[in-house]
Amino acid sequence: MFEVPVFDDLNAWAALPIILLALGTSILLVADLFIPEDRKRLTASLALGGVTVSLVVAMLQALGVEIGEQGAAFADMFIADQFTYVVNVIALSSAFIGILVSYDYFERAEVKRGEYYSLLLFSTMGAMLMGASRNLVMIFVALELLSIPLYLLSAFRKPIAASEESALKYFLLGAFSSGFLVYGITLLYGATGTFDIDGIWTAAVEIIDGEISRQFTLIAGFGLVIVGLGFKVGAVPFHGWQPDVYQGAPTPVTAFMSVTAKTGGFAAMLRVLVAGIPVVVAEDIAMWQDTIQVIALLTLVLGNFVAIMQDELKRMLAYSSIAHAGYLLIAVAAGGTEGIGDQAAQSALIYLLAYTFTNIGAFAVVVAMEHVDYSGTKLNDLKGLSNTNPMLAAVMALFMFSLTGIPGTAGFVGKWFVFKAAIDADLVLLAVVGVLTSVVSAFYYLRVVVNMYMEPGTPETQPETPSLRWALGITAAGTLILGILPYFMTELAEGVTVALIR
Amino acid sequence: MEQLYIDLENYLGIGTDSVPEVVRLAIAVLVLGTIFLLAPILTIWVERKVAARFQNRIGPNRTGPYGLLQSFADVLKLIGKEQIMPAHADRIPFLFAPLLMVVSVIMITAVIPLMPNYIGADLSIGALYFVAIGSLSTIAVVMAGWGSNNKYALLGAFRTVAQLISYEIPLVFSLLVPVLFAGTMSMVGITQAQADLDYWYIFLAPASFLIFLFSNLAEIGRTPFDLLEAESELVAGYQIEYSAMPWGMFMLSEFLHAFLIGPLVAVLFLGGWDGPFAEDVPVLGVVYLVIKSMAVYFLGMWMRATLPRFRIDQLMEFNWKFLVPLSIANLLIASFLWELFPEPAGGGLVDNFPRFIVMGGSSLFTLMVGLEFLRRKSVEDRERIARLIDEKNYPLATADQTGVAGD
Amino acid sequence: MLDVYAPVAPLFILAILVGGIILILSRLMGPSKPHARKVATYESGMRPIGPAVRRLPVQFHRVGMLFILFDIEVIFFIPWALVFRDLGFYGLAVMGVFFYVLLIGLAYEWFAGGLEWEQ
Repeated sequence: MFEVPVFDDLNAWAALPIILLALGTSILLVADLFIPEDRKRLTASLALGGVTVSLVVAMLQALGVEIGEQGAAFADMFIADQFTYVVNVIALSSAFIGILVSYDYFERAEVKRGEYYSLLLFSTMGAMLMGASRNLVMIFVALELLSIPLYLLSAFRKPIAASEESALKYFLLGAFSSGFLVYGITLLYGATGTFDIDGIWTAAVEIIDGEISRQFTLIAGFGLVIVGLGFKVGAVPFHGWQPDVYQGAPTPVTAFMSVTAKTGGFAAMLRVLVAGIPVVVAEDIAMWQDTIQVIALLTLVLGNFVAIMQDELKRMLAYSSIAHAGYLLIAVAAGGTEGIGDQAAQSALIYLLAYTFTNIGAFAVVVAMEHVDYSGTKLNDLKGLSNTNPMLAAVMALFMFSLTGIPGTAGFVGKWFVFKAAIDADLVLLAVVGVLTSVVSAFYYLRVVVNMYMEPGTPETQPETPSLRWALGITAAGTLILGILPYFMTELAEGVTVALIR
Repeated sequence: MEQLYIDLENYLGIGTDSVPEVVRLAIAVLVLGTIFLLAPILTIWVERKVAARFQNRIGPNRTGPYGLLQSFADVLKLIGKEQIMPAHADRIPFLFAPLLMVVSVIMITAVIPLMPNYIGADLSIGALYFVAIGSLSTIAVVMAGWGSNNKYALLGAFRTVAQLISYEIPLVFSLLVPVLFAGTMSMVGITQAQADLDYWYIFLAPASFLIFLFSNLAEIGRTPFDLLEAESELVAGYQIEYSAMPWGMFMLSEFLHAFLIGPLVAVLFLGGWDGPFAEDVPVLGVVYLVIKSMAVYFLGMWMRATLPRFRIDQLMEFNWKFLVPLSIANLLIASFLWELFPEPAGGGLVDNFPRFIVMGGSSLFTLMVGLEFLRRKSVEDRERIARLIDEKNYPLATADQTGVAGD
Repeated sequence: MLDVYAPVAPLFILAILVGGIILILSRLMGPSKPHARKVATYESGMRPIGPAVRRLPVQFHRVGMLFILFDIEVIFFIPWALVFRDLGFYGLAVMGVFFYVLLIGLAYEWFAGGLEWEQ
């Protein structure tokens, strides 16, 4: 009748971090209901504990400890390789710091809903699964798991109109873009008869030599998948939601989603687009590379130039986040050149890891600045911060340097590897534009530093609480250490390959 | 798999060579459909008689012997009545709702196996078909409620939908237990599996049987689940604007649906046509099925005559907090035990006995645990209300009790 | 394969015919003398106030959402139950995970008060 699977086929150990997190989160979801409102710190601690356990396992896996075999798992739906492990580490780190950043903020805002942490962890799971999918259906499910909690999280400051508005915008546009993705997946299935990414690329080789209608279906399918994923990472021209959502969402949520959604989106993009390169050697088939190049160029230019004009810190960081999607897209585009795939994936992951610490850190500073009613985050409000709160100013300056890409910070290392991949892939134009726009970005990032150190003023900051201080400390330390000793990142990324091993 | 159309050669004695198969099929189905269409006329009489006896009355006794012709008189009267079309009604849903109701119920009859090899259509998804087509009536109710453009009707329709869709979940969960045992959804297959096993599934899963029965009673909306037409508050629910035969059609389909629950439960849990010598003398199968169906039907009437109506919050809590968890637990336990105790080769009464003890026992045990929780909850509720009345000197009928909650 | 469904078609036609004939018969045989009072919307003898179609209580909406969640999950059980014998303990274990998710959802709804009719 049909072949009955056996337990060994599952290779479930390979997915241990996700399984642990899923188990912990689902228990937390119910357990939280029994925790009284004034003791929500317990929920946060439990969530933190769950993430830590999962993070330790993911770290061990990424460092080469054999927990479960590398390879396909769950009937070829799931793939566990170094890429998966590193994506797990990135997503879990951002969840860890995200929880640290969140607790005091919501305490201050008197939002006492413990579901927050469960939703945050569900979203993390989505990002982890997106990097671990070898099947388009799986990617879609993971994308929804990533996005739907984020829609809810954006609305967590419910009575505030900006928060509700951002959630609704995000939800509507997100649902719309998911539609694009599903449509693209459908077309790809129609053209190739499979959801398996490997199978799609294998079939694509035949299609390119075959009849024109199937070619059209294939290209339209890939195009729509790029649109769907491009929306998630906020690439121009699909970036429209990003400034409003980032500005309206509660700041810790913005911090978390700016990193996690990007991690998930780029992981899936690398899996879907770059994974095919080792499979096929046909010249025509990397045509998506040009598309990505154009998108990357647009994203870099628009993100960086529009960011200059912002006078609101959160909004500026939103545009900066678009710009950073551009740098990551350079890496994806570089992956389209034969033989560069692995290097491109490594550079993208290094960039993401650096970006995780830096960007959440920057938003953590915003959390420390922001008043309960969303005010206090204008660029002008930063004036004189070095006098009133020198530590905070120093840390913020560090993050700004890192986002600019000044040597000695993690951001520099990330950009270095991305540009190197682009040059190795003969995408010199992209690399040049990337460097030039980095220079442009220095203008608005350094303006923050100038405001803090060279302008007079007495900005109010929120009282710093231990967890926020921990978050700032971890992100600052991460930014510095990874910048001075990039060995940690390169070591992790070393074994990353994009080929979909069985 | 052999085709199991109604075989007219054997059962009705019509020569077949001269008649094309389509015509034979059509005639056969017509016969089947008509039998079931006429059934309510009898069952209404039975119901009225039984209800009367429960209430210490005599019931219809003037029209014909023992009042047997009462239903005919009612139908004739209804046909002669005026059909009122409310001025503000949405005409199309209003007119088509009774039709859809009747169609949904008559379509069900296709999958009831009357005796070995005697069924309208042996669908491989028979049990699912029954549930799916049966729940079409939900749409008819919504159409009626919406089309009437009447507050009572609309509220009745909302309640109906809430009730029907809620009870669909324990219904399907407990339906899955026989399906899981038999490994098929075909009604014939399930009956045959029980005949082969020598144990009806009610012995293996009594809790599922009861849950299935309750959810089905809720599905057809009879007392104690008759909130959709709660006379005391909603007048007649979604039927309020209907008169004459359209109203009669709602009544007809309700009775027919109620009656059809009998065969469904009988097939899934009571072995269908299975019984002594049923394999050899197929007509006996019909007799067994009718007896079993009537027994189930009688249970329904008994409850209808005995129990008061649920309040809507009780109704929902009974479903979500009692039936759903219990049915899930039952499905889990049943599947686990079924896997744990492999089927003895050849089946048989004696070989299957340990299995029967373990499975039936654990099912009953689950039910008892569930009932114990239910009992504690209701005691708690009653004490709470009693305290409220004591402390605050509440008048006896608070909003908490009259059940117009959410209206 | 599909011809098993053949008897359903005449039954459908029969049902439509019977229903239609009864309706038409009743229309033909019954009187028809409408007047304003008679065709007015029934509201316990009062003049109807306002339209019937208005905002419905939110509980019904919530029940609808619960139903959609559960019904979709129930659908996944059907194929599993059908091939249960072949899958054996593997199927049981895999479905156990699904059960777990379902139960977590139910527990959350329950303890968060989603199953109370009135808050």
